Amino acid sequence: MSVSRDDAANLVSRACTYLDEEKWSAFLGLCDPSFCYRVTVRSPEIKREMVWFKEDYTGLEAMFSVIPEHLRRIGTLFRHTAIGSVEAAGEDSAIIRSTFQCIHTDLEGRSRMMAAGRYIDDVGSTEQGLRLFNRETRLETRDLGVGSHVPI
Amino acid sequence: MPSRNAKSWAAAPALPPTHYTQGDIYRDEAVFEEEQARIFEKIWRLACHESEVAQPGDFRTLEFAGKPLVVVRGLDNVVRTFLNICSHRGARIVHEPAGNMKSMSCFFHLWRYDLTGACTAIPRSEAYETQRLDKSGLGLREVKTEVRNKLVWVNLDDDCVPLAEYIGDALEAFEHVLEENDLEVFTYQQATIDANWKEWQETNLDLYHEYMHVALRKTQIDPSAMNKRELRVYPNGHIRGGGSGYSANYESYDGWEKREDSKALRGLTASDFRFTHIFPCSSMNARGTVLRISTFTPLNAHQTRIEWRGMSPKSDSPEDWEMRTEHYNQYWGPFGRNVPEDLVAAELCEWNFGPGAARYQIIAREEGMRGQDDGFLRAFYQQWSTMMGRLASQPMKSQ
Repeated sequence: MSVSRDDAANLVSRACTYLDEEKWSAFLGLCDPSFCYRVTVRSPEIKREMVWFKEDYTGLEAMFSVIPEHLRRIGTLFRHTAIGSVEAAGEDSAIIRSTFQCIHTDLEGRSRMMAAGRYIDDVGSTEQGLRLFNRETRLETRDLGVGSHVPI
Repeated sequence: MPSRNAKSWAAAPALPPTHYTQGDIYRDEAVFEEEQARIFEKIWRLACHESEVAQPGDFRTLEFAGKPLVVVRGLDNVVRTFLNICSHRGARIVHEPAGNMKSMSCFFHLWRYDLTGACTAIPRSEAYETQRLDKSGLGLREVKTEVRNKLVWVNLDDDCVPLAEYIGDALEAFEHVLEENDLEVFTYQQATIDANWKEWQETNLDLYHEYMHVALRKTQIDPSAMNKRELRVYPNGHIRGGGSGYSANYESYDGWEKREDSKALRGLTASDFRFTHIFPCSSMNARGTVLRISTFTPLNAHQTRIEWRGMSPKSDSPEDWEMRTEHYNQYWGPFGRNVPEDLVAAELCEWNFGPGAARYQIIAREEGMRGQDDGFLRAFYQQWSTMMGRLASQPMKSQ
């Protein structure tokens, strides 16, 4: 059974909502145990592909567990997405390409765009439902200001 | 202890004038303009690594002290730097951050310059003859450039001291690392933050703030070795940390693995942690397997742009590249555990100093230039005072 566009959109949307709300366990609940998350970007300065973040499921679990101990920029992140294509990559899997804008809102309610880019998600049907197997967050933005302790 | 009223809050700390800074230093526009002229237009600043301009014609652009620069390796193999400004109408000539070119041609009226900065072509130049304007006097403005330990340094001051004299021995902890490892830039990032440049540099020089970083608390701070940690200060405000008492056990942080000595850069062990800051805005940091070059550019009194280069051996296998990328990102990447915290800390200081709400910073820790002594900060502000002709505790008062 192929992955429907609605199911794909729902998965991407829920993943963003959980990250926005910092419900880390719920986000990981959308991921297969083999999940890998990468943030990539090309540098015109050194003419190279770069990886700015890479963690597997276990690494993300460990990272999320220590987030409360870290000093972080005050405010919230909001991920606005638009689903582009949903291409079948097998009987029960697909590649979803979305665009996103990640917006930071400070405590006084002022919003400022932090990053723009694309999500390239490998998803597949499992017994638990549609799950993320791989996410590449491909950044257009290269100056992220103070950066982030959490995945975009 | 009692709280303070407005008068005592506004009073200068009861400390030697070298042991605190006064808040106007972070916010006053006139101070900022003077810093540009008296510091940034006089000092040697790291522009890039030589591998970024490895071949004749390779160039790299940057902004510094409010000026656009282009570093280029000439066809004669000499690395030169020019203001990236056409002599004709002031337009930006080279737009890309990096690339290769045979000559520099301005998009506007096609004035052309060779890689030595000489103006070589002006279309229909005969119209300038009545004013005796000749291309021999219309070359680009060249900026002092020196290459040392494979690092390219620039200085806007035609009368500056030689780079070797400016740096002295301050890079001694890194010279062999830079020379023995055939390095290239494997990752690059920049961040523009809302903070005065000194608020940013203070986070780099303040060892006492280590406690702010969870990752440092878990991997690096050894109270029993604190008094072994020596702070070394060099002439011209350069500083160095490293050696005995500076080491890290990365496996102490949840999810991180031990770094293997076999993967360390030549001249380092995997647990080595060392850094050198060349006054005021160029730095080297090593964490065993990875080396980072940092620079920054003050944009205005309230904004600073920081650049970081991660360095790796050119001979790295794909597996080693992946390992080094991971190690670099753990601390220093834009999603790392340390750098975002330092950037946030600088911005949070700016929140209070920017509008003038905070009045003073105390830099009075004394531990015999060991441990978490504020000696690096005092050395930095001593050099600032020398170049600015006033104390950092009295920034509005010229001496």
